[in-house]
Amino acid sequence: MIDQAGVLGSVRRGMIPAHIYNDEHVFALEKERVFGRAWTFVAHESEIPSAGDYVVRRVLDDSFIVVRDEKGEIHAHFNMCLHRGMQVCRAEMGNASHFRCPYHGWSYRNDGRIVGLPFHQDAYGGEAGFKRKSQRLLRAPNIGSHNGMIFISLADDAPPLRDYLGDFAFYLDYYTKQSPSGIEMRGPQRWRVKANWKIGAENFAGDMYHTPQTHTSVVEIGLFREPKAEKRRDGATYWAGNGGGTTYKLPPGDLDERLRYVGYPDEMITRMKREWSREQCDVIGRDGFMISAATVFPNLSFVHNWPRVEDSEDVVPFISVRQWQPISHDETEILSWFAVDAEAPEEFKRLSYKAYLMCFGSTGMFEQDDVENWVSLTNTAAGSMARRLMLNSRMGLLEDGTEVSPSLPPERFSGPGIARTGYSEHNQRELLLRWADHMERPMPKAAGVEVGVNGQRAEAGK
Amino acid sequence: MPILRADKGACQGYANCVVAAPDVYDIDDDGVVVLLKESVPEEDRQRVEEAARSCPVSALAVEDE
Repeated sequence: MIDQAGVLGSVRRGMIPAHIYNDEHVFALEKERVFGRAWTFVAHESEIPSAGDYVVRRVLDDSFIVVRDEKGEIHAHFNMCLHRGMQVCRAEMGNASHFRCPYHGWSYRNDGRIVGLPFHQDAYGGEAGFKRKSQRLLRAPNIGSHNGMIFISLADDAPPLRDYLGDFAFYLDYYTKQSPSGIEMRGPQRWRVKANWKIGAENFAGDMYHTPQTHTSVVEIGLFREPKAEKRRDGATYWAGNGGGTTYKLPPGDLDERLRYVGYPDEMITRMKREWSREQCDVIGRDGFMISAATVFPNLSFVHNWPRVEDSEDVVPFISVRQWQPISHDETEILSWFAVDAEAPEEFKRLSYKAYLMCFGSTGMFEQDDVENWVSLTNTAAGSMARRLMLNSRMGLLEDGTEVSPSLPPERFSGPGIARTGYSEHNQRELLLRWADHMERPMPKAAGVEVGVNGQRAEAGK
Repeated sequence: MPILRADKGACQGYANCVVAAPDVYDIDDDGVVVLLKESVPEEDRQRVEEAARSCPVSALAVEDE
């Protein structure tokens, strides 16, 4: 067992008990209270554009078929047959009008309703024994979509997705809405690393401090002109709603010049200016900040960077969407997608994809640098000595709580939330504060659903 | 044109046919096969015959006129 009050209290003070990065009891509680409650990303609508298109995605141990039905409506069906509990769909993605269980052959339409129930009359005595008509694969308790990003929540009392995202939605547009058509996603690449899931989530939320050290070699080989220490210090980090991220400070210029500086062609810039609000344009054009990495609590991250891809001075921007899918207390499955504006010119898409593959994804250079650290950290957090160590995650705060750098006034940062320049761990603390809030609150028992009878029977409290 | 036949008494509601050819076969609320068409064009013959053969209780047939 864990000393829950002690651990959470310590985390809230910015002192992190090192063992939370490798502790099966902590993970058991995360499974129940973080992933049993929070809105979790499962797919982008561009992955399932046509009727019958589906992907199978998980929220920890729970498998869901995320599918577009014949009418175009998107569902997330719990991927378990109503009969003996077999996983109904065992492919990872595809197109199907129906899903048939391999065990006894029960089948379901892609909207989740049961269609095939062999020997209904002989085996069950028909409707008198098993109410077939109203049966359907269990739905994810909540499903929502924003800019085509599909999320589910396993909590019956989840707030609406838009409320959950809050002001982070402002920043989400930079990654997912550069034109009216939004993004198209390719992938995901999917692989496992022996690292705790929180490390990547925290890193992408706000770790501007690691870039000059961990990623030195990427700068040294001339791939990337940005991660020099002073560039990261001058960038702003912001936290808004349930997410936050980092930015780079760009050289002087107006909006067009700065978007060109990171490699966007003029026709894309024209669409961005039409699509984004004045404040969204001002963060870049007036304030000079270009979004880079970000995390939405608990485990969805984004990255936007602009490396050189050809042997020239020109850079090309890319966007990656990634999820830190926990496998256990010391293992994470990384899902990494390439995202690009659907209206971007084909040549841009090609070069942007190349830029992404060079930097991120299973073979990306940044990815290799990062994961080496994260695996090693996780290993070191396993033992008894780590239980004595309270890591100081208070960068940016004096001992009395005074902030080293004040937050930026609206004249210097036109986005919502709180933004600051300089090195700090404000965002990592914001992420772990939400983690602590989730970990503290017990989950209400969900009502059980009985199969083959009319309606639901509540079994709360049993 | 190939004519479709279904033995509603033999049907046990597997719905394999519906999975294979949802434009031709369906299952009604009582769990029994429904023919959505009486016949299909010659070019659909192979696909619909495969759907009919997928029936575990041989309730379906595709016959010639």
